[in-house]
Formats: sequence, structure tokens, C-alpha cells
Amino acid sequence: MTNVSLSTRPQKSMVATSLRIALYTVLLSVAALYLLPFAIMLITSLKDVEEIRTGTLLSLPSTLDFSAWGKAWSSACTGSTCDGIAPFFTNSFQIVVPAVIISTVLGALNGYVLSMWKFRGSEIFFAALLIGCFIPFQVILLPMARTLGWLGIANTTSGLVFVHVVYGIAFTTLFFRNFYQAIPSELVKAARLDGAGFFTIFRRIILPLSTPIIVVTIIWQFTQIWNDFLFGVAFSGFDTQPVTVALNNLVNTSFGGKEYNVDMAAAIMAALPTLIVYVLAGKYFVRGLTAGAVKG
Amino acid sequence: MASLVIDNVKKRYGNTSVLKGIDIAIEAGEFLILVGPSGCGKSTLMNAIAGLEDVTEGRILIDDQDVTFSSPKDRDIAMVFQSYALYPNMTVAENIAFGLEMRKVPKTEREQEVQRVAELLQISHLLNRKPSQLSGGQRQRVAMGRALARRPQLYLFDEPLSNLDAKLRVEMRTEIKKLHQKLKTTIVYVTHDQIEAMTLADRIAVMKDGEVQQLGTPQEIYDNPANLFVAGFMGSPAMNFIPAKVIESGNTIMLELTTNTIETPTTINTIETPTRLPFPNAESLQSHIGKEVLLGLRPEMITEPQPHKAGLEFTVNSHVNVDVVEPMGADTMMITRIGNNEVNCRCHPSYNMVVGATCEVMFDTSKAVAFDIESGQRLD
Amino acid sequence: MITKNAPRFTLADWLPKLVMAPTVVVTLVCMYGYMIWTGVLSLTNSRMLPSYDFVGLSQYERLFNNDRWLVALANLGLFGGLFIGICLCLGVILAIFLDQKIRNEGAIRTIYLYPMAISFIVTGTAWKWLLNPTNGLEKMMIDLGFEQFTFDWLVNPDKVVYCLVIAAVWQASGFIMALFLAGLRGVDGDLIKAAQLDGAGTFTTYRRIVLPSLKPVFFSALVILAHIAIKSFDLVAALTNGGPGYSSDLPANFMYAHTFTRSQIGLGSASAIVMLGCVLAILIPYLYSELRGQRHD
Repeated sequence: MTNVSLSTRPQKSMVATSLRIALYTVLLSVAALYLLPFAIMLITSLKDVEEIRTGTLLSLPSTLDFSAWGKAWSSACTGSTCDGIAPFFTNSFQIVVPAVIISTVLGALNGYVLSMWKFRGSEIFFAALLIGCFIPFQVILLPMARTLGWLGIANTTSGLVFVHVVYGIAFTTLFFRNFYQAIPSELVKAARLDGAGFFTIFRRIILPLSTPIIVVTIIWQFTQIWNDFLFGVAFSGFDTQPVTVALNNLVNTSFGGKEYNVDMAAAIMAALPTLIVYVLAGKYFVRGLTAGAVKG
Repeated sequence: MASLVIDNVKKRYGNTSVLKGIDIAIEAGEFLILVGPSGCGKSTLMNAIAGLEDVTEGRILIDDQDVTFSSPKDRDIAMVFQSYALYPNMTVAENIAFGLEMRKVPKTEREQEVQRVAELLQISHLLNRKPSQLSGGQRQRVAMGRALARRPQLYLFDEPLSNLDAKLRVEMRTEIKKLHQKLKTTIVYVTHDQIEAMTLADRIAVMKDGEVQQLGTPQEIYDNPANLFVAGFMGSPAMNFIPAKVIESGNTIMLELTTNTIETPTTINTIETPTRLPFPNAESLQSHIGKEVLLGLRPEMITEPQPHKAGLEFTVNSHVNVDVVEPMGADTMMITRIGNNEVNCRCHPSYNMVVGATCEVMFDTSKAVAFDIESGQRLD
Repeated sequence: MITKNAPRFTLADWLPKLVMAPTVVVTLVCMYGYMIWTGVLSLTNSRMLPSYDFVGLSQYERLFNNDRWLVALANLGLFGGLFIGICLCLGVILAIFLDQKIRNEGAIRTIYLYPMAISFIVTGTAWKWLLNPTNGLEKMMIDLGFEQFTFDWLVNPDKVVYCLVIAAVWQASGFIMALFLAGLRGVDGDLIKAAQLDGAGTFTTYRRIVLPSLKPVFFSALVILAHIAIKSFDLVAALTNGGPGYSSDLPANFMYAHTFTRSQIGLGSASAIVMLGCVLAILIPYLYSELRGQRHD
């Protein structure tokens, strides 16, 4: 609705002004509701156990106590070990970085072929791939577990990278294909007449135009893989668990009393990488979500 | 520069035939224009010549070499696209040099070539800009520059001027004509603008439904269109088609038509005045005596009575009803109705024509053609 | 002079297909192949290890006689219905509100959307704390003076599904808002001008002109939300772990438990295939209408 507003009229009546105030009140209250859980997590993580028991959710900590953060990071128990979530943080990065790079590169090449070098059957294949974006992963869990066993990469980081690449390609391909579809095919024709080949055209003409979609794809894949729990819990060994699995174990491990401050500190830490990406590149994050959704 | 032979080229997608056997031979240095309505196959033919699409059947020869199976880069062809297809991430200079770079021309030579082309097209001051910083006309020049830089054997222009505004289009048209005269390049040029076709071409190929309807010089096509389609497609406003009856009067064959219907206010009767027109190529009508044909007459051949032409062999004056008057500056287009067909007459602006009344016009049939009503083919 | 053209066999022509080949293989094997494999397993009496003793549809029979599965399915219906309905309503309303030339729109939008960047595990952990009956919301309200306030949904088998709904809505509604907002921004401004010249007020313009044109966005959102609901696994794992008892199980959790921890691979596979059926039941009409729509354009 560019340039056209339904509500602002030249004359400002009392009614219009009070409507406007009501509108802002609603919007800001809702914003507060969205922020509240995170605020409470933060507050809780800074209290000690005693204060949590006596105070309420919103009561502020009397002193800033970072000990829960330290414990969550390096000494909280996650299942059978008590090294905090730090080692699993590393695991997550070891899974996420290669998986994001590989799936993005493959997605870019696939998108390039599916938009600029269509061949007989390529459209049908694209449709088949699209459906793949939607299948519930429960359908492939068990066969994949068997396959990873045969390949000798069960319970390894490489195994998880493989799984995330396989089931991420559909999305990355979709992103790149839709983006490249909007690039005029004459560019490729011109470059072919100029004597450039398949990879030269990709590297010299298409790739330099792809920065926005590369950013979108990387952010999308990063959040998806970082936040994954299902593959992590199904395919990881104890040493290779991603941070989401470790967090869940930490929260559900009950040795002695519940330490909600440690739980919250660990949860915030597990959420931090994707939150930082979101705050820094929110525009691209939204674009990725809507591209996947509206176009899908 | 090279010659181009398109030998019985056919292209099918599944069951649809896009090209139904095209035969065109172009000499080195010739400027050929392909015209036709959208969907006539002209763009497919261009892509086939360039090697961007495989043909289903037939051969393509450039300079007597069979290139039907060669890939685009081996055909030594340059193409100017309607959208210009400038590489957005490269500067103008890089755009122009890209084809040379791909062909491994040394850097210094590339730079010299870029300079030469830039001077030729007067774009030297733009060399460091990106395409997004250029106006439409400048982009068009860069696109041409990119084609010229490689000095290819054959140039393809795919509606290169359609994205320009009217004034710029006329300018660039002249520019392209000058370039062709200067460089003597072989050019195949697709357009849907028939003025472009008339002004630029050495020869024109009019296409429809994947077939060449007529191939000839602009004047041939204008004066002697092979069929109703070509006649209607070339020229603006289009050639008038007037239903007429072939009669034998004395020993000459003439065309008879009813030009106007006068409704007299006093009587309710209408008076129909038949007009008889002589025809230059009268023998061609021999077989149609007594039948209806379509008389093809360009608007400029129906004018106000011109004294210097009066009494010539092929001029006849008659009265017509004035339906619409459209002043165009240099001429005034008067539209009347003969039979069921609208007829455009190109009159002098000072000639007095009143809508709703009748006026006298002069039919000059010295360049008239006639078409068979059934087949649409020209009679000759 | 007719020459039949033989197809060319050069590397350059095969390069695009060669590049696509790994993806094609992986897609065919790891998506479609595995789907079939799971389908086959669902027809066997596999327990701890896959076996290929075919028992027909008896696993499906067992499945639909299994109380836990029926609870999971009912939960999915309740959870999915509420989650989708609330997200859609909230998304549309917030999007329209935000489309009124709001100052700081960008900041507000960012706040609405940030939960989508967070893992469902984190969301579950956070809401588990917020909703816990001893120290959470209930205690806060009592301390604020509402002595009678009780909030035990998280441990109440009849209410626990609503906790899932609350957490899931918190996470996804901002995203749906963003979808609708993008849709609203895409509505042709001339259309709105025309409606206003025709004398339509703000409310009528939205109801009669703007919202109907958002139908495609609405369907996209519906499909995405349904997809999230059917796949929901991590939220349950973190927030309730299916409990109390198995009162908050969803099919995804049922499938995982039976396949990986309860050594009932046949039964687990059957449940996975039913889930796939649910997704396809939503997806196929959607894709069909999408494709048909494209053909009409």
C-alpha cells in the first residue's frame, strides 16, 4: 500500500487522535508481551536460586549474579557429563558452518541450472524438490539412521552435516532458483555469444549479482541448522550433540533442586547466535522467511 | 563479413511447429530485416542462427561453413538484445571487452578495441560507469558497442530499439543506418516496427506462423505485397482493401465499386453511384471477370483531386462520404467507408472536408494491386 | 535438402545436468526413496531392527487402536486448530495495525518477529519456566494480590495442550504478521484510491478490497502453519516432554518414541506415514491451486 494510507486524513478530529492513541497502545502492549518472556529469562538468569524461590518472575535481582551463566557455560550437567554447554556450542558450530557452506553452494548451482539451463525434465524435478521442502522429516528418520550407519558416519559431526545438507538443498535451491528466475535470460545468451561457458557465466555474470540471495540463504540455513533439534537428537552421538540437544538435556537433568537461573542462562546462550544474526541482518532474515513462504 | 544461408530450417516443440521450413540466403554485407507479428517465429529464428536453440531440421551456413551443430561461441556472431543484456556488475568498458577477454585477446589490444568502439559510438565518457548509471539511449549504444568490439562475422539485432522513446528511436535508427553504410557489416535485424524495416533494410523478410510470407526489397514489399497479410502489415496506415467487382467494359477490364451512398433529405431513396477504376495489370484480372476481388490501394493514392494528375490514364475522381477527419500535420487522413471496409485517404490539410458530408477524391490506381478474396494472394 | 540433426554429445551440453546430478540422486534416494522405505517398514512387524516380515496393514490397525496415538492425533487437531487460527487472526490484525504509518514501525516489527529466530527448544525452556505452577505466572499473580489465581495448565492433563499453543503462537505469530504485512504492501495503491473515490471507508476498504486480495498470502500462511504444527516435535520435547503422562504428545513425538526408544519400528513407521498423509492432504490442494493459478496468469 505504497503512499496510500487508509487512516491519515487532512483534518484531525478528536476521534482520529484518540483512535491513534489506542492504536499505539495496542501495538506497544503487544510488543511488550513479545518481549516479556525474553526479559524474564534474562532477569531469572541473573538471580540466585534463593531469590528465584522467594521472588516472582518480574522482581528484579538484588545483585547482578553472573554465576548461573558461568555454570551454564562450563559446569552444568547435561545428561551424564557436567561440562556445561560450551563443548556442545562448539559442536553446533562444527555442524553449522560446513553444512551452511555446502548447501548454499549446491543451492546456488542448482538454482542457476534450474533457471538458466533448463533441460527436459528440469521443471518436473524442481516440483519434486519443492514437495521435499514440506515432507515431515519423521518419514525419513529411520532410513537415514540406517544409511548413516552403513556410511560409517553415524553419531558423527560429518553425519549431521550430511543430513543437514541433504534436507537443506531443497530450500537453498528454491531460494536461488526464484532469485535467478528474475534475472533476464538474455544475460546468459549474451555471455554465451561472447564465448563464455557454463562456469564462466556463473562466476563472472551470475555470482556477482547474487549477494542478496546468498545472504538470505546463509541466514536461513544458519538459523535452521542451529535451531534444529530433531536431527540432532536422532543422529548425534553423545560427543557430537548440538547445543539444542544439550540444552534440553540440561533442563531435564534433575540432580537435586531445579536451577532455573542456570536453565535460563543456558537457553539464552543457545539462542544468542541466531538472535545476533537476526538483529544484525533482520531485513534479510525476513526476506528469507517470506521468500520461502510466499514463493513456495 | 560473411554470408548467411538458412536452408529449410524447421523447429518444433513437441507437436507445435514454430518454424516450418525457412529458406533465406543473405549476402555478405547485406542488411536483412525480419518482421512479423509476435509469435511468428522471428525470435526463434534469431536464436537458431545464434545457436542458442537447436533446430529440429535443416542447416545453417555462415560463410559457406555448416554451423548447424556448432555452439554459439564458435559461430562468431554478436547479438544486440531488446533488453540490451548488459552485464550489470561490469563497467561499460568491461562489458565491451568481455567477449574479447573470453577469446583470450591480450589486454592492451582489448583496451585499444574498447577505445575504438567507444569513439565510434561516442560513449568514451561513459566507459567507467555501470549500466545502472546509464540512460536508455546510452545503454543501447553500449550494447551495440559490445557487439562491434569483437568484429564478428555476423550481427543479430533483436528489436534493439523497442525500449527507447519515439524520438530517440528515430535518432538511433539513423545511427544504425550510418554504421552499416560505414562498416558494411552483415546484419539480421528483428523488429515489429515497419518504419524501421522500410528505412533500414536492404531486404525484408515478412514472417507469419513460422513461414516467410515474402522476401524482397522494401520497395518490392511496399508496392507488390505477395498477399493480404504482407500488404496489411507493411505501411502505416495500412493499405486499403476495397471490395470491387471485375467487369469488362468495351475491351478493357475495369474494377467497379460503390464509393458513396447519398441520402437525399427530400426523398427517402438513396442513390448509389458506381465508380469504375482502370487497373494497370489488367490481364491479371482476366480469370476473375464477373467476380469480386479486393483492390489494394495505399492511402496516398486516394487524395483530393490534383490538377496536375487530372486526365492521366489511371486517375478517376469520385465522391465519398466523410466519416472521420484526422489531421496529422503534413497530411490530413480522411476516413470513409466503401462496401464494408474502412478506407483511409491521405489528403492535403487545406482541402475542405466536412464530417457527414461528401467530398470529391481522386483515385490513382497506377500502383494498385488486387487480391483474390478466398486465398488472399495477389493476382498477377 | 533435409538433414536430421543428431543431438550433440559434448561436455558443455552435459555440464548443467552433471551439476544437478548429485542433487537429483540425493533427492530421489533420501527423500522419495526413504519415504517408500518407511512405507515398506510400516507394513512389516519390525521391532528393534528393521525386518521384512510383511504383516499387511496390521501396524495401522494397532496404531488406531493405540490410546496414546489417538491422544496424540486429538492433540494435533486441537493444537493445530488453535495455533493456526490464533496465528492467522493475530497476524492479520497486527499487520493491519502496523500498516497505518506507524512511527518506529521497523523497531516494532523487529520485536514481533524475533521469537522466530529462536529454537523451539529455547522457547519451550522459557515457557516451561514461565508457566510452572510453583514459581511462575501463578505465583506472580498471587503476589500481585490475586489470591485466588491458579494456573496449573502445565501439569493439568486436560489443559497442557493450551500451553503448547501459547508458546507456539508466541513464536510464530510475528512471522505470520510479517507475511501479511508484505502482502499488504503489495496491494496496488490505485486499487485503494479507486475504492476511496467510490466512497468506501477505511473499514470497508479493508474488508472488501484489501483482505480479499490477500487470499494467496492467507493460503501460504495456512500451509506453513499446518506444516509447523504437524512437524512439531521439539516444542513438546522441551516444554512438556509429552507429559503429564502422554497427555501432551503430538504424532511427531509418538513416532520418535516408538521408533527410537520403544523398539516399535513398524508402528513408528506407520505413524510417520500417517503424518505424511496429513501433510500431503494439505499440500496437494494447495500446490494444485497454485499451479492452476499460474496457468491462468
